[in-house]
Amino acid sequence: MGWDSALLLSLAVDAVMLTWIVVPAVLLGILVGAIPGFSAQNTLIILLPLTLAMDINMALAFMVSLYCATHLGGGIPAILVNMPGTGGAAATTLDGYQMTLKGKAQQALVLCFVASTIGGLVTSIATVALLPFLAQVGMYLRSVEMVAVMVFGLVLIAAIAADDPLKGIIAGFFGLMIGAIGTDHIYGTPRAAFGFLELYDGVPLVPALIGLFAISEAFSMMERSTIVPRSAVVDSRAHWADTLEGLRLSLKYWWLTIWTSFVGLLIGVVPGAGASIASFVAYQQARMFSKTPDEFGKGFAPGVVAPEAANNGVTSGTLVPLMAIGVPGGSTAAVMMVVLQYHGIVLGPRLFIESPEIAYGIFFSMTLSYIVMLFTILPLARYMSQVVLIPTRILVPLILSLTIVGAFANREYVFDMGLALVFGVIGYIARKTNYHVTAILIGIILGPLFEQYLLRSLRIGQGDLTILFSSTIGNVLWAFVVLSVLLPWLRSRQQERHRRAERENPAALTGDQPR
Amino acid sequence: MDHSTRITRRALCGGMAAAGLLAGLVPGLPVSRAAAQSYPQRNFRVIIPTGQGGGAERLARAFDDAWSKLLNQQFEYTFHPGAAGQIGYELFVKQREADGYNLLFGNMGPEMIMYAVQKPDYRFPEDFVYFSRTDIDDSCIFVRNDSPYKDLKSVVEAAKKNPVNVAVSRIPHPASIGMLALGEATGSTYNLIPYGGGNPTYVAVMNGEADVGALPITGVLSLSSQFRVLGVFNRENIFAGITDNAPTVNGAFGTSIPDLYSSRAWAVHSSWADANPEDFALLERTSREAHASDAFRDAFVKTGSPVESLKYGDRQVCTEYALAMLDLAKRYEPVLSAQR
Repeated sequence: MGWDSALLLSLAVDAVMLTWIVVPAVLLGILVGAIPGFSAQNTLIILLPLTLAMDINMALAFMVSLYCATHLGGGIPAILVNMPGTGGAAATTLDGYQMTLKGKAQQALVLCFVASTIGGLVTSIATVALLPFLAQVGMYLRSVEMVAVMVFGLVLIAAIAADDPLKGIIAGFFGLMIGAIGTDHIYGTPRAAFGFLELYDGVPLVPALIGLFAISEAFSMMERSTIVPRSAVVDSRAHWADTLEGLRLSLKYWWLTIWTSFVGLLIGVVPGAGASIASFVAYQQARMFSKTPDEFGKGFAPGVVAPEAANNGVTSGTLVPLMAIGVPGGSTAAVMMVVLQYHGIVLGPRLFIESPEIAYGIFFSMTLSYIVMLFTILPLARYMSQVVLIPTRILVPLILSLTIVGAFANREYVFDMGLALVFGVIGYIARKTNYHVTAILIGIILGPLFEQYLLRSLRIGQGDLTILFSSTIGNVLWAFVVLSVLLPWLRSRQQERHRRAERENPAALTGDQPR
Repeated sequence: MDHSTRITRRALCGGMAAAGLLAGLVPGLPVSRAAAQSYPQRNFRVIIPTGQGGGAERLARAFDDAWSKLLNQQFEYTFHPGAAGQIGYELFVKQREADGYNLLFGNMGPEMIMYAVQKPDYRFPEDFVYFSRTDIDDSCIFVRNDSPYKDLKSVVEAAKKNPVNVAVSRIPHPASIGMLALGEATGSTYNLIPYGGGNPTYVAVMNGEADVGALPITGVLSLSSQFRVLGVFNRENIFAGITDNAPTVNGAFGTSIPDLYSSRAWAVHSSWADANPEDFALLERTSREAHASDAFRDAFVKTGSPVESLKYGDRQVCTEYALAMLDLAKRYEPVLSAQR
């Protein structure tokens, strides 16, 4: 489609005219995202009768705004109480919660909000400009390439468990074993479901996420009076200076925000991939390219920026295959597809010719929603951060009741509530024995996907393992996987050598040569 | 639903306020004709044993556009994909009350194959009965528009030399049976790759991961800008006009492969249907009327699907089809399951 300035102007005006519906959608989306177990997809299904009755532009603005806001909302509890609201925010807990424990909750929230909104804004604008190109990305990332992408994510297990690799590997394998529960991907034969119908489709992510993070954290909280240690209580008090410091840090890491949001965009374009994978891969890549990889996991700002920018980059990406080829990129996009088709909108390449105002209007609405999000939520960081000062005797029952409801809400199975509690106990034991719950979760999330892509690739190659190395893009990705393992190791060795040299001959390094 | 309906900000706020007020002041307010009949008196809950956003949901919603008006009640959907539909069926049979308000909207073809292969813990037709078929969706062989395969014969010739990768939704599926039967009849070999749903199967054929796809035809036709249909597993190609006169498989090779199609249908608990013949007759009658209505057809056309596939079938037709599909599945059971 040739760019028509009149069309662009009218789309921009239309988007602004829909602000009245974008604002409540954003607020609802943040709320839904912040409560573990509630998702954009389920909320949109509940509200489907309303969106079907709306004017199509209004319905799309509402759905897109709510969807984008849930990704931002998921980061709030991840930072404040170590419980990700969505799977895409699981990686945010690694550094976000550590910042909270240091009394920097407000800064972490600002980093999360700015990275989310800027990441979402940049990718929504980029999507409009690069749509024809992006539509091709899904054509090049096939099963073979996705195996390498999954390995990227799995490599993160090694990275986050660097202090104790053996425990990391055990936790990762435990997660992979849990991920293998459910029907196999080829014949649909149940495996290790022990007769539980609710496990036939695999271990559901939401109860696992809620249990491993939220419930186990609630159990841990019972052992102390506030979330933050006494030493950090004073630092946790609200100051506008912290908001400004968060903004300064966001500006400092602007480039990281941009490129990790593009990682999210590219992964989002692949149907079925999603925000969880994108945020873990972005975190892993940010760590790989960092000059101080050892700082990750200890309350390091880039550890919040990377996953948050990436999971908001996914929001644009997941709509690309829907718009360009008529195939939804994810479950939320699938619900949007129902609404679009109900209104008689023909999806696929013809959409850009027959209804350009719909095709591009979606991304204009997305852009507007991110602008609205930034201005509505940024000032609230100061007040949200005070959650960490609430006594745990109040917070723990609140978290437990909300999360148990959240575990039920996703699939409406009472079984899932019990499953969340089981994972809560597993998570609590893991924390007490210094096993990384994130490593378990990565195994649960990526295990089934890895298996699915691997089995599919092997079936395509008719059993020939070399198919995994048969594509140029795939081989480039494999090279990156090797690099991502070697680079931090080489870097830490170099730093160790440097430190040793410093200890042995400090004068040589300061330039103070003896005469 | 009147598609011309447009909600303005004022109408939305006013309507919600009014509805809230009304609900608060007059709980259980009867609605027009609903007051005059004993059944149905509340909304229907529908289980769809596949994921949301798929063909089943689009078809069900188009159908309930017409049906809800005749029944004066709305339809609420829950989606339970997984295990080739088994989860949705088990939930329906074991956990949903047999009260006539719980329905299932299933895809009889693949789901009866699943029933034959996975041997779940429920019985057909003792536990549930299909009573209203909405469509016939012929299985077809398709390729992307720029594929080197120009016709069915070129696919079979290639598959005689080397196994051809075929993207399918699931291994236990009528289209998969069709490919296996074609291979058996012509001495060609097909390597079936299951993608777990229509949408990922389309992508696999689009991006060249699989050479060929085998799926129900209506979804393929809704993406006609991307795909070419090479052949149909039925005695007649009712979409000849929009598939460039693609031949039937039997016509092209002189084979006698049975008609292979998916058929979506509404189901209800058998115990309720037998115990409440009048209410069940009402469901049957209104579903037939809904199927014949313009409201349904208009809504269906909007999904991009061809109206030719809409074929009503009553309880007897549905049961015959389901039992025939069971027999077919038993014939191919070793290759459709993990048995070797």
